[in-house]
Formats: sequence, structure tokens, C-alpha cells
Amino acid sequence: MNIVEELIGDVLVEIINVDRASYNEAAKFKEMLDEKIKSGTTKIVVDLTACEFIDSTFLGVLVSVLRKVSKEQGDLRLVGFKPAVRAMFELTRMFRVFESYEDLKEAVDSFNK
Amino acid sequence: MEEKGSIKANGTILLVEDEANIAKLYHYNLTKAGFSCEVAKNGAEGFEKAKSVKPDLIISDIMMPNVDGYEFRKMLLADSELKTIPFIFLTAKGEEESILLGYELEIEDYLIKTSSPKIIIAKVTAILKSLEKERGKVVGEVQKAADTMGAKVVPDEFPKLEGFVVKHWHMPYKNVPGGDFIDYIKIDDENLIVVLGDVMGKRWGAWYFAIAYAGYVRSAIRMVLESTQDLVPSEILKRVNDAVFRDERISEVFITLSVVVINHKTNKALYGGAGDLPIVCKGDDVTTIKSKGLLLGFSKEGDYKDYEIDLKSGNEIYLITDGIIESRNKEGKMMGQEGLVKIISEIDSNGDSYEMFQKGVIDFTGNDFEDDVSLVFIKSL
Repeated sequence: MNIVEELIGDVLVEIINVDRASYNEAAKFKEMLDEKIKSGTTKIVVDLTACEFIDSTFLGVLVSVLRKVSKEQGDLRLVGFKPAVRAMFELTRMFRVFESYEDLKEAVDSFNK
Repeated sequence: MEEKGSIKANGTILLVEDEANIAKLYHYNLTKAGFSCEVAKNGAEGFEKAKSVKPDLIISDIMMPNVDGYEFRKMLLADSELKTIPFIFLTAKGEEESILLGYELEIEDYLIKTSSPKIIIAKVTAILKSLEKERGKVVGEVQKAADTMGAKVVPDEFPKLEGFVVKHWHMPYKNVPGGDFIDYIKIDDENLIVVLGDVMGKRWGAWYFAIAYAGYVRSAIRMVLESTQDLVPSEILKRVNDAVFRDERISEVFITLSVVVINHKTNKALYGGAGDLPIVCKGDDVTTIKSKGLLLGFSKEGDYKDYEIDLKSGNEIYLITDGIIESRNKEGKMMGQEGLVKIISEIDSNGDSYEMFQKGVIDFTGNDFEDDVSLVFIKSL
């Protein structure tokens, strides 16, 4: 699984190190995050910098995790949009659903403002 | 980025072999036989390659440095995604004990390196063919059962509405029903509702929810009809969203939906969308309408609006799901929204636009898709 987890303070950072984040990665990624939320994680940043593309299954997982973590008064924020990923988020109005940031530091810091 | 153009029609084989000359020999023969062949030098490297390439079949040596073949096989068996990939041991270890140990690890075959490459290729081909046949049988059985229950996600026939042609094109990913669904609801002689939905997910899991959602949409339409004469997409979307937002069983499933109500008397269409892709309208120019609505099930307030479209004779509307714009050409370039608009712009509206659209998409992708593909085509006569 090419997903690297890192804890910066109390913010869990998930770095998605795949060109194409898709159906193949989605189920495991969801499982990983569900576990983290169960054990109390509420601040999550997903770094998509390495992704040239994300499909709707992977996007569905992001939305599902966002909804779950929101119920716990937490948030899932995104960083790093390649053009095709940006286009997909724009086309499907997902920028209205997720808070997104230009770089990782800014995204992590946003939780402590 | 994955080189889409390099994937051969026969499938991808991962060959795990530490001896360079032997790897070269089998790589040459497999490639010659039409397979795409990836090579790894030991079990550890093989495991990483298996994760990134997701081969159709793995051929592995046993005696290798770092992680040997048995250990490699055990690692694959412990991985829910990789354990079902057919596996063959190809080794010099011909003694009974080694062979039996190999078969204990749920392998398809155990071949001795003295076999000629031709025999290896024949075995690989036979295994893949038999698995494909088996898969086809299972899919056929489930589809038969689904048909018997009337659980269709796409209608068999195109609807009829005076003054209009309404047709759909639907190709499920790898022939397994998935998350796209299409529905037509004829309200009366004047009004037809067209619904195109996409459950976020793939294959059977998404298909199950597609059926559930199609049901939700139908009941929402019934409720709207019972409570008001004003049948508008925004109201349908709002009702479906209210219902699915409250339904805990599907709280982790989200869908996008496009709804178009066509009225043949007024020659107008009303469109509303939820997280869907912009619809494309073709008259004198090609324009797109991007709805503001959020995908269904995410938020209590979905911000659903209606957009009125005047339909003069010859005007067309294209509703699509993401399988079309996310498809790639042989060089790996994605079609995107611009590519879609280009295909539609280049269609000669005097001909059969529905056929030509399909041809345009298939020409672009080389008929190789990575998701369900769905179009609903509406033309005012």
C-alpha cells in the first residue's frame, strides 16, 4: 500500500503516493482511516500531491470519511491538486465539500487556528 | 504514470526470477505470445510489483535471495487484494516434497524449469482462459438471478415521447454490472423524466446500491407527484437527498444524479443535478450547464436548482457519467470535459448523432474503458 501515514502534532497526515488513486486503493484506505477515527483521530489531512488522477470510488471514500469525522466534530482537509484532480473536484462541486490548501504545512496549521 | 498503451490484450504476467538469463528467456517468450511481462528479482520486489501492477497471473521461482518463492506466496496469501491472483511456481526443485509444499500454498500449477517455454506459455494461456470462463459463468448466473428479480439498472428499451428521440448507451465495466443507472418515468403523454445516476464505487458493490437508489428516485418522484402538480428536478433531488441522508444503512454511499424533465408540448426541458457532470447542450453552439447541487446523501441541504432549456428542432442534450470523461487514449491522455465537448462539436447533426458520439468515444479510447460508461441522448425532432 503506497500510503504513508504521519502524525504532525495531533493531525494525522495521509500521503497518497500513487499516480492513480482508484478502486484498487479505496477499500484499504477506508479501512485504515475508519480504524483511526474509531481510536479517536479527528484531524486528518490527505495529501494528493502525487496523484495524477483519482476516480469516483476513491473520492467516495474521502467523502465518506469526511462525513464520519465531521460527526465527531473533526475534519478532513485536502492538499496538493494536480490539474486532472483539480478539474474533477471542480466539475463535481467537491471544493464546496472539502477545505483545501496549497501546501501541507498550511493544511496542518489550519487545524490549530 | 501507468503506460496504458503497453498493456497487451492477453493480460499482464509478473515473472519473479533471480537468474537474469532465465528471466530474459521467459520475458521474451511471454511478450512474443502477446502478454505484457513485468519482471522482479526476488519475492520482496515481486510483492511490491504485484501491488502496483496487479498482474493477471504470477510466475515465480522458489530459490531466490532475500524473500524466496514460498515466503513470497505466503505474503500474497495474506493480502486480501493479491491472494486471488493465479500463481504458478516455475522452479528447478523437482523433488516430491517441494512440489507438495508448493501445492499446499494454493497455487494453480507447479512447473519444472526443464519444461520448454512453449509449454509454459500454453499452461499460462490455459489457466487464464479457464479462469475467464469461470468468471463469465459466475457473472452470468448472478445476472440471471438479478434479471429474475427484475433488478435492472438500465432499461431494456428506449422510451417514447412525441417529438423527441431519447436513447441511452451503457457499457458496464468489465461486463460486470456497476454503479451507473438509468431510468425513464413517463408521467403522461406530455412529460418524460430522464434519470442518470452514478453510485461512487465499482462493480457488484456499487450495483447493489444503484438498485436501491433507483428505487429511492422512483419513490421520490411518486411523492412529488402526489403532493404537487409541479414536477421539477430540484424537488425530486431534494426528496431523494432527504431520504438517503437519513438512511443509516447507506450513510457511507454517495451518488451523483442528473434529472431531466422533458415536456413535449412546451418543447422545454428542466434539468437539475446533484454532484453530476455538466450536461452538454448542442444547438447552434455547444454549451454546458453545470448544476450547483451537491452529491446525494452528504448534506441535509443539497442546494438543488432547476435549469430551463429551450429545445428547438434538432437541439440535443447529452447526459454522461464519469466513465466517459475519465477514459484515456492509447497514450494515457484523459478525455476530460474539453475532449467530450470536442467530440460533440465535431458531430454532424444531420447524421445520427447518437451513433457518432459512441464512435467518437470508442475511437478515442480504442474501446478500452476503466469504468462504467453511460450516456443518455435527447434530441428534439
